[in-house]
Amino acid sequence: MSCDNVQELISPLIDRKIPAAERESLLAHLESCRECGAHFESMQNLRRALSEMNRAAMPPNLAARLRVMASHELARHQSRATLSDRFEHWSGHLRLWFDNLMRPLAVPFAGGIVSALVLFSALVPSFSVVHDYADADWGTDPYGQVVVLSSTGVNSPGVSADVPKIEPTYASYPEDATVVWLMIDESGKVVNYQLAKGNMTSDMQTVIMLSKFMPATFLGIPTPGLVKMVQRPTSRRTLRS
Amino acid sequence: MATSILDLSSDRTPEAVGDVEDARLIESLRTGSEQAYEELLTRFQQPVFTLALRLLNDQSEACDVVQEVFLKVFRNIGSFRGQSTLKTWIYRITVNEAHNTRRWFFRHRRREVELDTDPEEMRNWKEIIPDRNRSPFDEAFDREQHVMIEAALDRINPIFREAVVLRDITDQSYEDIADILGVSLGTVKSRILRGREALRDELASSLKSRPALRLVPKTAE
Repeated sequence: MSCDNVQELISPLIDRKIPAAERESLLAHLESCRECGAHFESMQNLRRALSEMNRAAMPPNLAARLRVMASHELARHQSRATLSDRFEHWSGHLRLWFDNLMRPLAVPFAGGIVSALVLFSALVPSFSVVHDYADADWGTDPYGQVVVLSSTGVNSPGVSADVPKIEPTYASYPEDATVVWLMIDESGKVVNYQLAKGNMTSDMQTVIMLSKFMPATFLGIPTPGLVKMVQRPTSRRTLRS
Repeated sequence: MATSILDLSSDRTPEAVGDVEDARLIESLRTGSEQAYEELLTRFQQPVFTLALRLLNDQSEACDVVQEVFLKVFRNIGSFRGQSTLKTWIYRITVNEAHNTRRWFFRHRRREVELDTDPEEMRNWKEIIPDRNRSPFDEAFDREQHVMIEAALDRINPIFREAVVLRDITDQSYEDIADILGVSLGTVKSRILRGREALRDELASSLKSRPALRLVPKTAE
């Protein structure tokens, strides 16, 4: 057995890969040959030194990084377990994406809405148009509560009979009384009148021109109304004298 | 002399218990058990890091490789068919990742200047606190020896280095190495033989090139 052959077999010998029969003659050669023995010894030392390098110190943060990664992967795995989990996972992602998209816009958006409301409420009065009372539906609430706020005529009992009275449309009146229908808009002003019976008196004219009514309301909203002004004939003062 | 470390009586047989444990761990990983993830890390993070470090000889690169390896293991455990052991499969991924990293490193970062901190500062307290069981000389000698071997490993052909590291440092069997590297048993034997010879030659040449320590006796004046 030549030294070259023996030196090639040293590596398998160290790894116990040489058959028993061949091993004996190989070991005998290593005992007898100084050069091959030294080679074998150096290979043994090298293997021993290498085997001592089997445990390198891990950086302290690596274990923590691995656990964080494992935690993420576990969450990822669990989010894909079933169809509903997957749906929930993606809907969560979508929600987060939408939230992130909207969050920077939230303050400008809210500011814009508030500004628009303020501007709109400030500008609304200037948008009002003259109402065409000819087309108004006077029957909206003809029996609504209509009260005279200030006028020469009053609606309270105990006043003299010759003062014009504001009465509901359904109230009855004497045969000789003067009756005027007053059409009142939603701001409480008389916008039109109609002499139904008798002659217009100056008191009635004053009421028509100067009275301010509290308008009728429908569902809490001021609405045009129709009231009846009646003057008893006790002291009749006609306009057309 | 010749039989000092051979321990010819021992025989390496596959451990059925280990296989059962592996099968249980793989099944738990597939069902998404938190304990299984922890167990996998506890069992393999140290050997995988050691293997990556010995293959790359760069701690930060080894850390990146370890993370990539476990990411692949977690994501691909469902497609692991059990044709090899769990350890062999993980080692195969590690070797491939290290190979890819080394290739990328040589392509992109060869000319970069290292600005990293002193390795002494990177060492943790376990390394800094001295072990009282061994003398400072032994420690220094071992460290010096390991540094020399690491440098020599870095200089030999990566193909041979993989085989030597797997055989002599991580103590894998020839069959497992063949499985990890995807080569035949004969090729494994050849690579280990050539790798050891190359490593021995590198160490011998590095020792020769070092300036010898000269002790010049002087008389007291």
